[in-house]
Amino acid sequence: MVRAFRPESVNHALEIMSENQVIPLAGGTDLMVQRRAWSGLPPRFELPVLFIDHLEELQLLRKEEEQLRICAGCTFTSLLEHEAVPWEFKIVIAQIACPQIRNRGTIGGNICNASPAGDTLPLLYAFDAELALVRKNDSRKLPIEEFLTGPGQTVLEKDEILKEIVIPVYSFNTFFYRKVGARRANSCSKLSFTGCARVDGNKITDIRMSFGAVAPTIVRSREIEARLRGKTGKELNKLIPEIIDLYAELIKPIEDQRCTIRYRKTISLKLLHHFLGDVIMAKMT
Amino acid sequence: MRINFFLNDKEVQVETDPLRRLLDVLREDFELTGVKEGCGEGECGACTVVLDGKIVNSCLIPVGTVEGSQVTTIEGYRTTERYRVLQDAFAEAGAVQCGFCTPGFVMAADAMLRKTPMPNEDEIKEAISGNLCRCTGYNAIVEGIKIASRKGRGLW
Amino acid sequence: MKGKIGDSMKRVDAPEKTGGYASYIADMSFEGMLHAKTLRSTKPRARIKSIRVPDIPKGYFIVDKNDVPGLNRVKLIVDDQPFLADEEVNYIGEPILLVVGPEKVKIERILSEIRVDYEELVPVFTMEEAEQQGSEYCFTEYEIVKGNPIPAFERASDVFEDEYRTGYQEHIYLEPQGVIGEYGNGRVTVWGSMQCPYYVKNALIQGMGWEEDRIRVVQTTTGGAFGGKEDYPSIMAGHVAFAAVKTGKPVKLIFNRDEDILCTTKRHPSVIRIKTALDEHRQIIAMEIDIKLDGGAYEGLSSVVLQRAMFTSTGVYHIPNVRVKGKVLKTNTVPTGAFRGFGGPQSCFAIEMHMWSLAVHLSEDPLDFKLHYLIRKGDRTVTDGVMRHDVKLPDMIDLATGMSDFRTKYAAFNKGNDRVFKGIGMSLFNHGCAFTGSGEKDKIKAKVKLKKRADGSVEILVANVDMGQGPMTTLRKIIAQALDIPVEKVIYENPDTDRVPDSGPTVASRTVLIVGGLLEKAARQLRAEWDKAPEFEVLKQYEQPPYIEWDQETFKGDAYPVYSWGTNVVEVEVNPITYEIKVIEIWGVYDVGTPIDERIIQGQVEGGITQGLGYATIEVMNSKDGVLQQGSVTDYVIPTSMDSPKIHHCLIKSYFEYGPFGAKCAGELPFTGIAPALAAAVQNALKIPMRSIPVTPEYLLEAVEGAH
Repeated sequence: MVRAFRPESVNHALEIMSENQVIPLAGGTDLMVQRRAWSGLPPRFELPVLFIDHLEELQLLRKEEEQLRICAGCTFTSLLEHEAVPWEFKIVIAQIACPQIRNRGTIGGNICNASPAGDTLPLLYAFDAELALVRKNDSRKLPIEEFLTGPGQTVLEKDEILKEIVIPVYSFNTFFYRKVGARRANSCSKLSFTGCARVDGNKITDIRMSFGAVAPTIVRSREIEARLRGKTGKELNKLIPEIIDLYAELIKPIEDQRCTIRYRKTISLKLLHHFLGDVIMAKMT
Repeated sequence: MRINFFLNDKEVQVETDPLRRLLDVLREDFELTGVKEGCGEGECGACTVVLDGKIVNSCLIPVGTVEGSQVTTIEGYRTTERYRVLQDAFAEAGAVQCGFCTPGFVMAADAMLRKTPMPNEDEIKEAISGNLCRCTGYNAIVEGIKIASRKGRGLW
Repeated sequence: MKGKIGDSMKRVDAPEKTGGYASYIADMSFEGMLHAKTLRSTKPRARIKSIRVPDIPKGYFIVDKNDVPGLNRVKLIVDDQPFLADEEVNYIGEPILLVVGPEKVKIERILSEIRVDYEELVPVFTMEEAEQQGSEYCFTEYEIVKGNPIPAFERASDVFEDEYRTGYQEHIYLEPQGVIGEYGNGRVTVWGSMQCPYYVKNALIQGMGWEEDRIRVVQTTTGGAFGGKEDYPSIMAGHVAFAAVKTGKPVKLIFNRDEDILCTTKRHPSVIRIKTALDEHRQIIAMEIDIKLDGGAYEGLSSVVLQRAMFTSTGVYHIPNVRVKGKVLKTNTVPTGAFRGFGGPQSCFAIEMHMWSLAVHLSEDPLDFKLHYLIRKGDRTVTDGVMRHDVKLPDMIDLATGMSDFRTKYAAFNKGNDRVFKGIGMSLFNHGCAFTGSGEKDKIKAKVKLKKRADGSVEILVANVDMGQGPMTTLRKIIAQALDIPVEKVIYENPDTDRVPDSGPTVASRTVLIVGGLLEKAARQLRAEWDKAPEFEVLKQYEQPPYIEWDQETFKGDAYPVYSWGTNVVEVEVNPITYEIKVIEIWGVYDVGTPIDERIIQGQVEGGITQGLGYATIEVMNSKDGVLQQGSVTDYVIPTSMDSPKIHHCLIKSYFEYGPFGAKCAGELPFTGIAPALAAAVQNALKIPMRSIPVTPEYLLEAVEGAH
């Protein structure tokens, strides 16, 4: 049985995928852990693996006028080192795992692994990321919130790979990110809050908020954000309790070996309160 | 699968299951037992090797992906002058107790010093944040790396 | 050797470890070697009705209880644990059999096809449930009384009572457990990562039912242990010994990390109640202390852990009347065992938090309150022993408060505000050096040998191992200093029971104090007789210091020959939004007698502190329905470099006349004081009593914001 394919190009990879059922493997920092076997035995892959970490076409990064295009195979380290990557992204990526993992783990892998606690996901939601998927002779593009459907679940077809993440141009002047883990480094997220906004004078021009690890997928609500758009500081102050209640309905964490339901929910809402009541308010003139 | 790569500066070839962990290929096929298994899940860093200039956990690397790459283990590194400086510095600082984690820390330290020859304490701690030590409490290791950076000026 | 003994030298074993030259057990391979993997119980309590084994190919073997040539009981204090399950299993993870063979793939396949037919029995999962079961679920129970607590409680004006809890802790030595067994020429040899070669040998003698000269145990370079490799290796050694004899080939058994976390021994969780009687002048006149430890499914070392917990239950304080009750309860969970501190940290947490709370209850400054009750030389301990040596705590406290600016900060943080939660806490603690009670004299009877060689080198022959704590260097220094020869001329190899006498286990912080002490004596004799022959040996056997009086039946007298002392100050900041604890700085002042090597002591201090921080904050381990919920290093987190704060320490000068060059004990002490100091700091920050560790953000959320 073929254990692995090592395609020479993306097209070659798609060709292979059109004819074989495979498991694409980029950095391997999730898959090699999930499928690990007894020491000395190879990890358990029931299908052939398709190595894609060497494909340079998947490691490109292009800054265009209206968007930033990050190829899925960019490692976290390469994103930290690239000048075109927004500093907000670097803040989030720098808190992922540790150097050894960042040198191999890819943004594409983080997305396709679709963990509710995926570190890049809340950020990508807040930045309205769109994902470009390709298969042989075909491609499609969809917003990230349509791509992720549940814990570990995506709409990726068996013969498709994630090629690119497209970040539309944005202009935030306020950014707040807080990941709560079990320790200061190399820690899975118990919960996270991402808040980006544009505050002009005394008004909120734009605001995006997303919560990680507190629901089956990332929590973001454009409806709630719309309620805040255009509001002044005074109006925001009055709205905060209602906004918190609205998010409280959407935040549905689980209890597991890492954290309790109550902690995840309470702290998420406290961070939200801090973002609105302290960070945004401080930006208002 | 036949995989050709550079191991400790020597060109080598293996014919093996490409999904075998690089850690196992190094320890079993090449008898490079300086690369240790502490957890098998990329958390402890005891299996740290340098792959194309960057530190990685060899327990998470399928050997098929190292085709054409440069792999350096502690066995390759310990013949260098930079290693000698680190070894002395570690001993001077008391950075070695049971020693199981030490080769992994050495590889991580060298990778960082190559990028930042005169690191501050925060940079050092960040660079070794993927290596666990249960014996020393880390301060001595950080101190050892500081000493190495001072005494090894010009080497990195 | 030049200079004074404590002057730091570069560790003898550092270069070989740094360069990856040192061989640990997993690095070793023998000709024709087979691998082994353990089939474990999936039930917390059950009778094994039958085991259906598939057809196994030639060259593969099943090793089960029928392959135990001798007694299927692991020799420890109470021989209740089988090497391989007999008719019953008592915890999830209990070893039932091994599959042994040349290829791991086939071993796994065979394992997956084995069917164990269980008749499930009713398990007991918690200490509370165990107490309701009666004596069947109580391994051990003791009581000690000092003075007259009952009348004291009767005349008390005020009684203050509280309960304290500590959780599991897993060692996470970086090197997972492993052994290799070999059979040849009628002898079994076991190599492995271990603390106590003779414990393993004695367990094999009983398990094989053979004469002692047919069994050989060799320690391999050990990548950390902390107590986790004190008794557990005996079980694994038995497994590979039986397998080696059955197969005729060497057998290697190395645990996966997850397996190691889930199935090997852990620190005893505890519930400790302390009740204090105060008289009309608000003086402490009596205490009643009730200690409960969770022993898991088999007793193991639990009785001694309980003893130490009880003998140190009043901490560093002199309490005139005390009743201490202790129990080790049996639960159908993973057996608990030795871990740095060995019952001491549990008691220390309870008594330190209690004294703090008492002070607050009486509106007194906690440090002044504690100082008032400090035990002094000449006072009687809780076992009616005499504190025979100076207690330097007052000076140590002065040093620690000075270094950390404790009093100013404590007062300032006490006033505090809601935006920033800063706190500082202090703990006082001790560690009774070496074996509890009469263990050294009656059980261990340590023997050491020193061999002079013709080339003028001297070899240390002891059974004690270097597991990272440095005896490869410190014991050599002792010999070098006593003989006035260079350290390079002293030889000390990993112990091999064919070559070394039984100098006792590497536990209880006894290696330098007891074994080093004997070696010093041997060296002086060797020196005096140096010219008697080109090659000869000196043997020395342990003699108890004449002043020790101890009754093992009544637990009365000097529980330990001497104590080491410590004080810690921990400063923290608690995040007001997330309740995460940031440790800002830690100070420690220690009395360990003469340090044999200052840098090695520093290593024990910083390592012990960091491990203590983990115990106090992030090392969460819960058992649910008999299964440990944090079963990998992803979920059971230990501190990383980014979690380690600035640590300042100093040693106070002291000299113990019965220790080598005046040394006492140092390995466990630095661990003990951190949890109570940290909890006290959090208490100072949040103004809420801390009664349980680990102090997690989830716990603090509940404590501060309560139930909605």
